[in-house]
Amino acid sequence: MRRLLALILLATAIAVPAGAVASPAGAPDGFTGLDRRNERADGWSETKTLTRTFVQGDGSTYSFPSYKVTVSADQTRNLRGRQRIEISWKGAQPSGGRAGNPFGENGLNQEYPVVILQCRGVDDPSLPKSKQLRPETCWTGSVAQRSQITRAEGEASWIHDADADAADKERLSGIDPFPSAEQCPTADVAGYYTHLTPFVAAKGTSFSACDAASMPPEAAVGTAAPPAEIAAYTDTDGSGEVQFEVRSDVENESLGCSHKVACSVVVIPIVGLSCDQPQTPMTRSDQACRKGGRFPAGSSNFANEGVDQAVSPSLWWAASNWKNRFAIPITFGLPPDACDVLDPRPPTGFYGSELLAQAALQWAPAYCLNKGRFKFQLNQMSDEAGWNLMENGGGAAAVVSSEHDQRGSDPVGYAPTAVTGFAVGYQVDKPDNGGELTDLRLNARLLAKLMSQSYLGSDLGRGHPGIGGNPLSIVNDPEFIELNPGLSQTSQEAAATLLSLSNDSDIIEQVTDYIAHDQDAMDFMHGKKDPWGMVINPRYRDLELPRADWPLLDTYVPETASECRQNNPGVYFSQLAAPVTTLRKIAEALLDAWPYVATRCEFDTGTNTYKMGRIDRQSFGSRFMLGIVSLGDAERYGLRSAALETKPGTYVEPSARSLGAAVRLADQAKQAHPFALDQADVQRSSDAYPGTMIVYTAARLQNLPEEDAAKVAQFIRVSMSEGQRPGSGNGELPAGYLPIQRTGVTAKLYDSAQDVADAIEEQQAPEPTDPTGNGGGDGGPGGSIVPPGDVPIDDVPSADAGPSAVPTGPAAPIAMPATQPVDSSLAGGLLPLLILLGAAGCLVATVLRVAGPALRRRR
Amino acid sequence: MALALSLACIVSLPGTASATVYAQIEGTGSTWSELIVQQWIADVDANGMKVVYTGGGSTKGRKDFSQDSTDFAISEIPYQGTDEQGQADTSNGREFAYLPIVAGGTAFTYQLKVGGQLVRNVRLSGETIAKIFTNQITNWNDPAIAKDNNGRTFPSLAITPVVRSDGSGTTAQFTSWMDKQFPSVWRPYFGRSGLTSYYPKKSGTRMTSQAGSDQVMNTIKGFSGNGMIGYVEYSYPLNADYPVVKVLNKAGYFVEPTQYNTAVALTKAQINRDKSSQLYLTQILDGVYNNPDPRAYPISSYSYMIIPTGDDDPRMSTAKRQTLADFMYYSLCAGQSKAGPYGYSPLPLNLVQAGFEQLAKLKTADPDVDLDNRDVRSCNNPTFDGKNLNNNVLAQQAPQPAACDKVGAGPCGTDTGTNTPSGGEGGTGGDGGAGAGGDGGNAGGDGGAAGDAPGAIDPETGQVVGAADGTSTSGEAIYANPTELAADRAVDERTFGWLAVLELVALVLLPGLYVMTLRRRRASTGSTTGATKVARP
Repeated sequence: MRRLLALILLATAIAVPAGAVASPAGAPDGFTGLDRRNERADGWSETKTLTRTFVQGDGSTYSFPSYKVTVSADQTRNLRGRQRIEISWKGAQPSGGRAGNPFGENGLNQEYPVVILQCRGVDDPSLPKSKQLRPETCWTGSVAQRSQITRAEGEASWIHDADADAADKERLSGIDPFPSAEQCPTADVAGYYTHLTPFVAAKGTSFSACDAASMPPEAAVGTAAPPAEIAAYTDTDGSGEVQFEVRSDVENESLGCSHKVACSVVVIPIVGLSCDQPQTPMTRSDQACRKGGRFPAGSSNFANEGVDQAVSPSLWWAASNWKNRFAIPITFGLPPDACDVLDPRPPTGFYGSELLAQAALQWAPAYCLNKGRFKFQLNQMSDEAGWNLMENGGGAAAVVSSEHDQRGSDPVGYAPTAVTGFAVGYQVDKPDNGGELTDLRLNARLLAKLMSQSYLGSDLGRGHPGIGGNPLSIVNDPEFIELNPGLSQTSQEAAATLLSLSNDSDIIEQVTDYIAHDQDAMDFMHGKKDPWGMVINPRYRDLELPRADWPLLDTYVPETASECRQNNPGVYFSQLAAPVTTLRKIAEALLDAWPYVATRCEFDTGTNTYKMGRIDRQSFGSRFMLGIVSLGDAERYGLRSAALETKPGTYVEPSARSLGAAVRLADQAKQAHPFALDQADVQRSSDAYPGTMIVYTAARLQNLPEEDAAKVAQFIRVSMSEGQRPGSGNGELPAGYLPIQRTGVTAKLYDSAQDVADAIEEQQAPEPTDPTGNGGGDGGPGGSIVPPGDVPIDDVPSADAGPSAVPTGPAAPIAMPATQPVDSSLAGGLLPLLILLGAAGCLVATVLRVAGPALRRRR
Repeated sequence: MALALSLACIVSLPGTASATVYAQIEGTGSTWSELIVQQWIADVDANGMKVVYTGGGSTKGRKDFSQDSTDFAISEIPYQGTDEQGQADTSNGREFAYLPIVAGGTAFTYQLKVGGQLVRNVRLSGETIAKIFTNQITNWNDPAIAKDNNGRTFPSLAITPVVRSDGSGTTAQFTSWMDKQFPSVWRPYFGRSGLTSYYPKKSGTRMTSQAGSDQVMNTIKGFSGNGMIGYVEYSYPLNADYPVVKVLNKAGYFVEPTQYNTAVALTKAQINRDKSSQLYLTQILDGVYNNPDPRAYPISSYSYMIIPTGDDDPRMSTAKRQTLADFMYYSLCAGQSKAGPYGYSPLPLNLVQAGFEQLAKLKTADPDVDLDNRDVRSCNNPTFDGKNLNNNVLAQQAPQPAACDKVGAGPCGTDTGTNTPSGGEGGTGGDGGAGAGGDGGNAGGDGGAAGDAPGAIDPETGQVVGAADGTSTSGEAIYANPTELAADRAVDERTFGWLAVLELVALVLLPGLYVMTLRRRRASTGSTTGATKVARP
């Protein structure tokens, strides 16, 4: 019966991808990854009843209460390497003894977890054995996860597995014939039990898995791809969910899953071994098999103490566990056709913004594979450096996301190329192993506090002049606690900072512009205490915002008894901030929960010196890390993005809708120039995402070699057509970008791109037209097609200021505070005042002297 | 049935396009070359190759490779046999080959502010640098520094050298240069001769250490970085828009590590040509340090990839070897074209060719690796000279240094750290250096270059005309003024800012007002104009 059910499910599962192939439309709204909650057509679900049984001494069978477990996966078809799929379950036995890190061998000391593995093959008895999955084709990153080596009898519970073959109940089992002492020196020790679960690689090589040397190469210690297999935790209500990362043959050649080789994700809820008839009296192994766990449901095991083997994840391969498996068939997409490394055409480099990185990765093959196109390459560097290269002829075009100062004499046109932006990415665990936080809110003042290094980090920061009373980190800040209640308030250094870029970037400009338009944040920047008494680090007080670079201004070197620090006197707050050069580094740091905080100080016995370095990775269950990432990276790596405050009390997450709402607010002052998104407008709106950024291809409109001009124009036109089609294929627009379309809110970008493409191709600046008339014309059709939510926003800005007044708007709130003198303002302010008085006196005197006679005469 | 057919069609499609099978490879090592390696990795993604590189320092790279935990390493120096602590620094029996991947200059970036403005044109001799990093010169007002800068004295400000705390190839290159060029300065400090990957730091000095090039750059750029100087690959200051020291070369010119000057210097690198040696293709840089060409940047070097060549290498497979081979094919060929913009210097063709010979060892280890058509002829390398592979076109095109960069002249007012050719480039004389380079292709160029330097440069001071006096119009150059007391105070700025604004307003308005009053006076004293008539009631 069960088998029939499985077959039916399998059949439907196979039928689904056919449908998907027939209509490769992708997600309807384009901003695919952000709306994961929507049920996907290619999801999967199955229900099974799992029961643990003991054969009693008298031969009767005792059954524990059954668990009716339902396992679901949100997507299973056309996956890509390192993609994460969401696997959830309900009705399982609650877990106990939760591990600090559930991945790989770190997760072994838990009780009643749900083991999730990726295995080659599918669960279909009708297929030849080589295409079926079995424990030998399931990947684990360590020996301990698949083999039990020289165990004492009290730890050899598997030899009494009721469902096991006779051979597997032997003292040595798993491989027949068993490896020799030469091959596996530690496996056969008299009086001890060993079970090996070999790994059979895609090409047929068998690895005996008796020690680290007999494992496949991808299982090396400290490998670039950390373990994906997980012993996940079931909450006390019987449910749980994880993001499981699948690996293709590119990442894991030995496992070898691809569009040609079918694979499965195997989910095994551990309910405990079923045991065969015991001897009387029971042997130690009989007793071991019948153990039911020493940790209560819902408890933690951070000390990594030993657990009862019979209910641990270590024996997932044992027959009575293995039969409880849910095998989710997954398929990998066709690998995108790749550029040929032998292509003799020299690449044409565009230089600039990393915001376009994910799109450029997908776009590049669509150029190199098309003989009618040039060979496109995006060289990522700071916007300013890219701009300079473009201006001085070093690059055909620059990729930037704001207006840059023109240094050369040639006019430059900006063609909108993509709508994306930045996110404040986070990796935060809820306390007491409550899982990952999925909803974080931040406002401009909190960003200002983080960036201005106003949190102390640790006791080392307490001696900092002027801010000794500030919270150690954001998790201790009452403002943050009020906004995000229920989080752990145990401070750690990484929670005192926002990992950001060390170099100039248009992204920093946008972040600081967001801060600059928030009254509370700017009050804080100017030295006003927040309502809870926190005050800005004086080194950052009155820092001019917005700005493209975020300087490290602090100078405080803590006085400490630590000999190591005395030998490496360093600016503590700068070590906390430790900005890096690329957004990608930030995304990876978040993914690994490994901050760049460089405060680790230790004695190196090798060199007899004290040295500073990067702190350790954060452990699961207590992670807290924030960093600025691109929306493209956030989607590609499945990072979570904080919602940012717009109107007081309104928090907006990046989504297709909120990006669209922001684009709607963007104005273009002059033809072929960038569209400016006024953060003042954003902060009046209820649904525009403040981190929205438009990425432009900028090229000279004069003196650009004809060949380059043609390439740049082609790039803009291709980007505006197939480059805006959402999807994961070559030339398509990946998740994290809002498609620019001929109609709707993005129509003005589309039109502008076409104009600039023409201008670049013809090497002639477009005729200046009336910008308001143009803008109005574009805005008209947009208004009728945008989602209904956009209508109210439109009213707000137009109600309080005429369109021509908008550009001057933002200057006022920034300029005012900047000129406000502060601490030694008395002396500083008095002098000009006196001079002013003097000058006024002179002027009045002159006027009187000159006008006096005239007046007198007139009389 | 139709479904099956369509599926079959799709499956059969890719056959030709993705014939090459790749698997992910991973490596660790040098942060010196990391910036360009990461860009290459991004580039080959389009070819379907997945490469992971995580830096961590050359020493870590060599160690990880020896422990079989990576597929390749990148290091500035070869395995040392035993390291400075007497610990093993070998591949632990893993078969390997060295492969040069990119050239570059180890730059000295610094923060030195005078009157609140960043000085961007400091020049130092090698000896001064060595003395700074051995705590013999500890203040920016040191006479030796003034001498290097043709008499400009910087204000009194303590020097804080920033060194690397992790095992670093940059440190190894730098200390190797000091050991060879200034043994009397370096060896007493180090306590022995030779290079080290771990910079020795004496307690009680201002010297500070940081892990990785990123953090060295952060520290120097930071607000409290005034007075700091550190060593990193040129790409880091370039990226951070920060100045670098112009270092004195053998010919008596102070030069910046641009791609040109590095390429010129490395024409004198001695490359180990003994194919039977384990050190095949590694560098001996003595000739580079003393290269007599006026354009040569003395501390130039190559960075190396260490690739596994054993046929029974435990980590390698056909797909991984193919990925490694094609990743390097791209990097050695097309990838070299972007070395300049990123602050590196492309490899000359002869080294690219030798690199291909090393890659061929991957095929020797595994005959299934496809190396067909991957050779220098198809390379799009900017140093390429079709007639003579040993020629470096870049080195020939390299502009001569400006006259103001010569010992006893200048200093030039132009900024460093901008990746532009050295010299009189001050807006108007933009291609001055290049012009001089045209006639200075031969060795005798240095005298000539100084003599017939372009007209934009004052022959006496060597400075850019127009920027020669203190009130330069461009406002770029900052000259030291030792009598300046307060560096910069915010209050002053604010106060005198106001004053300046007022004065400006006055300057604009007062003449007009005066003229107006004059006119009015004239009108009121009798001259009859229509306007005044009408105005009278």
